[in-house]
Amino acid sequence: MGKVILEVNELTTKYVTRFNEDVYAVDHVSLKVEEGKSLGIAGESGCGKSTLALSLMGYYFAPLHYTSGEIIIDGQNITGMHPDTVRKNILGNEIAYIPQAAMNALNPTQKIIHFIEDVVQAHDPKVSKKEIYELARERFEVLGLPKEVLQRYPVELSGGMKQRTVIATSVILEPKILIADEPSSALDVTSQKMVIKMLRYMMEKGYVKAMIFITHELPLLYNVTDDIMVMYAGQIVEKGSSKQTVFDPIHPYAKGLMGSIIVPESGLKDTKLTAIPGTPPNLKKPPEGCRFAERCKFVTPECKRYPVDMKYLESDRSYRCIFTEEQLRKAYQND
Amino acid sequence: MKHTLQQVFHSSKFVTGFCIFAAILLTVIIYPIFVPNPPLEIIAQGSFFPPGTYVSTYDTVFSSKAYTLNLPDAAAKRIAAKLGDKERQDIKDYLVLVGVPEAEIDTTNTIQLLSQWDKNYDPSKKISGMIFSKVRYYERLNKSLTGLLSEEGLILAAPNIDTGALEQIGTINLADYVNIKEVASVRTLPLGTDNFGRDVLTELVRATSVSLKIGLIAGLIATFIGLTLGLLGGYIGGTVDDVIMFITNLFTVIPSFVLLILISYSVGQEHRGPVMVATVIGFTSWVWTTRAVRSQVISLRNRDHVNLSKLSGHSLFHIITHDILPYIASYVVMALILQISSAILAEASLSVLGLGPKTSIDPTLGLMMNWAMIYQAQILGKWWAYFPVLIVIALITFSMNLMNTGLDQVFNPALRD
Amino acid sequence: MKGYRRYFLNKLLWLLVTALFAFILNFTLPRLMPGDPVAAIVARLAQGMSNSTGMKAVYEQYAEQFGTNKPMITQFFLYVSNVFQGKFGASFSQFPRPVVDILKSSIWWTVSLQFPAIIVGWIIGNVLGVLAAYIRKGFDKVVMPVSLFISNLPAFGMAVILLVIFAVDLKWFPTSGGYGFDLIPEFSWRFIWSVIVHYQLPFWSIVLIAIGGQAIGMRSMSIYELNADYVKYARFLGIKDRKIVGYVFRNAMLPQITGLALAIGTMVGGALVAEIIFSYPGLGTTLLTAIQGQDYPLISAVTLIITVMVLLANFAIEIIYGLIDPRIKAAQTD
Repeated sequence: MGKVILEVNELTTKYVTRFNEDVYAVDHVSLKVEEGKSLGIAGESGCGKSTLALSLMGYYFAPLHYTSGEIIIDGQNITGMHPDTVRKNILGNEIAYIPQAAMNALNPTQKIIHFIEDVVQAHDPKVSKKEIYELARERFEVLGLPKEVLQRYPVELSGGMKQRTVIATSVILEPKILIADEPSSALDVTSQKMVIKMLRYMMEKGYVKAMIFITHELPLLYNVTDDIMVMYAGQIVEKGSSKQTVFDPIHPYAKGLMGSIIVPESGLKDTKLTAIPGTPPNLKKPPEGCRFAERCKFVTPECKRYPVDMKYLESDRSYRCIFTEEQLRKAYQND
Repeated sequence: MKHTLQQVFHSSKFVTGFCIFAAILLTVIIYPIFVPNPPLEIIAQGSFFPPGTYVSTYDTVFSSKAYTLNLPDAAAKRIAAKLGDKERQDIKDYLVLVGVPEAEIDTTNTIQLLSQWDKNYDPSKKISGMIFSKVRYYERLNKSLTGLLSEEGLILAAPNIDTGALEQIGTINLADYVNIKEVASVRTLPLGTDNFGRDVLTELVRATSVSLKIGLIAGLIATFIGLTLGLLGGYIGGTVDDVIMFITNLFTVIPSFVLLILISYSVGQEHRGPVMVATVIGFTSWVWTTRAVRSQVISLRNRDHVNLSKLSGHSLFHIITHDILPYIASYVVMALILQISSAILAEASLSVLGLGPKTSIDPTLGLMMNWAMIYQAQILGKWWAYFPVLIVIALITFSMNLMNTGLDQVFNPALRD
Repeated sequence: MKGYRRYFLNKLLWLLVTALFAFILNFTLPRLMPGDPVAAIVARLAQGMSNSTGMKAVYEQYAEQFGTNKPMITQFFLYVSNVFQGKFGASFSQFPRPVVDILKSSIWWTVSLQFPAIIVGWIIGNVLGVLAAYIRKGFDKVVMPVSLFISNLPAFGMAVILLVIFAVDLKWFPTSGGYGFDLIPEFSWRFIWSVIVHYQLPFWSIVLIAIGGQAIGMRSMSIYELNADYVKYARFLGIKDRKIVGYVFRNAMLPQITGLALAIGTMVGGALVAEIIFSYPGLGTTLLTAIQGQDYPLISAVTLIITVMVLLANFAIEIIYGLIDPRIKAAQTD
């Protein structure tokens, strides 16, 4: 087992709406990412996966608020730190973020190089512009981006180029962990491939030590990440290796999610495509018991009574359901 | 519809604006019922009488009943009214100038001061270095001080019609009072009179109503033109749109203010009534409405319900009235409100320049401002002639903008913070 | 650079078109009035002039110079060529002083009063607007309603209020004029000081009005920008909030520049009336005396000059905007 780069224990964060209502979009989430590994987070839109990405940064601004839990990056707990310390020492340095809509992630009226200067100097004002330029040029070249991009404004770049520029900028300070929130969802297939290749290459080169990859496109995750975590209504419902989670899900929601997409793998070619009926619960007033109960085929009155805990299996798998693995497998077969 | 109205009236901004505006409107409607005087009737001989209650001196003297009140501070008040700190200082200055030693003058000792004044004041004496207005001032002061310390009353005399000789007809004692309710003629002028001697409040109420009418007419004209051009340009598109946009852009950069001046001047004083001024303002301020309506229509043009209507063979008129207008109605109302308030401002600016409506029948807010400025009310300190006008203008436009912001927040959720 | 040249030429062409149109309007509008224009002008002359020889001289000069008996189109070209030669004719009300003389003495007062005032007001308004959006809470609650109320005062209203408070009551500043009435324009400290003192009140009344309107617009632009994705991204890369506010300020400011280009006509109009309140010796006061004196050539010249000034200001703003917003260049090269 490798060195743990990111450890998150029971992290809970909430949104406060205009009407002062609390929305717990990340509810007691725990996870671990080891050096050289990548973790995928999957779920329907609105399940809290993007909020989780924001919450992992340890830097909160309205309407998102920290409630409880810890975030430990390479042995350093960042949850108790002063926001200014987090900004200066952690963000960009230790943990970096690639936003969901990279199209608009760059300041439209600033040249790329000037933004990179701002990023580097925000952490170390002493670095000269020349050094920054050299660093950026070299990094862009290694990552296969022409150095001319540096002198361009974001409007002058194509969508794919913009996304790759954002990625290269995010890792300019060689953070330990990179959190990528749907980095490829708005791109065409070729650009998507290039982005994925780039992310993998960065891991190989050691620009980042570990990665969390968030998407609703499961086939992508299976190709990119080592482990997959499935989220539903702010909670983790299943966690395991990519192969296991995609081909052999345990939790009924994960099962449904995998069934609702096409995975271009030989073993799954003939499986039926089924959508999960219903909608996720309102997180302003989450249900007492299992949050998936309303949409679950195998629901029993027991499910709705008490909060459900994670069940841990050997081989590092876990899921959140009152049934045992055997009971579920039997149910799937009869279905 | 009902739901939207509820939302609108939940917006605190809209409600505040609405209340201010409603209060102004109610005043304009109700005031003339109680005070039916013609607004431009000249009642005062002289300019800028300060606000207050005016009691007929003649009627006071010949009031049916005189009351005797022994008020202990009456004498002190009478003296204080005519001999304030400033007057005492002026008297001292004069006495020093004519050679009374400064140590002998005590401005707080009224009796001594007045006797020194009586002894030393001589209007015929030339004092070097004293400007003429100061000489006149001392003459007036001397006259007002006459009999100030008298313990006796006044004798009223009237000329005998036959002989022409004065005959005593009564006396007025220091302790004589009248009840103001029994005085035949009393007029309260809460805002005094203007430069022509007209009651400012009555004038202001009528001016507000005329200005609101000008705003409404101008706003309706501008909105109508803007709506028509915006609908045509936005919906038909192509060359029609190009032409409309070209004209709109032209009138966006050419200042409407200049057009207003040129047209108003060309129309000539004789033809410039309030309606004419409103029309001219309306015809020069449609640009913004056109732009707003056009961009809304363009975003609506390819919506499903519009396409469906087109496919069903509805006429252009039908599509515009049924499938487009209902969706932009809120924008049009907001544009209308803005147009009205800016038209009121435009009328005011135009009138200050001397290009306002002709003046014989109706006052407007701008005209009142213009008169006050021409007669230099601001420099003479006659605040009642211009300040209430400014407040009314600001309140009208402020309330309308508040209503508009409130509406904007209801109909344009992106702006809610 | 090619993209920018295209943008520049585009704007230049637009300037020429609008200027042509302004000439046409300035020429036709007064001639649209009912009745014979020559007769109307003679009627005006009779009202405005006090000496009859002057009246006759003006009429002859007018008929000759403007060719009132020639066809409209010829008159128009004559008019344009006259304008370019600075021949606006003689003033009716200040006969025989040429209109161009009057303009020369007043235009610089207006230019040096209004443009600095509008720009200062615009800058302060934008800074307050972005602060209101960023700080919110108390600042937003105070600045916004005040700005809203101020921007609803007519420009001359603000001028009157400042005049009464600072000139009439406190006597800190003079009530009217561009310099002391006992001075003659010369290059001396006494004169310059007098000009500076007379400058303050008209200047600040225009500034205050501009601040109000700009702060409101900038606030909503900034709120919109603060929610943009690039702000979130920059924050998560550890960039300081102050720097991010700088980005937001710049980006929200760019639309405000276009806004200024569109609003400058209205602002100049308001400022001209504010000039009148202070009897400032600029174009506004000239316009007022021209209107009062029924001085048609002077009115026509002043309105034309104002329009051309606004068009030029507009053009200059668009050109600067093109230089500082990279998106313009990118859009033009497409």
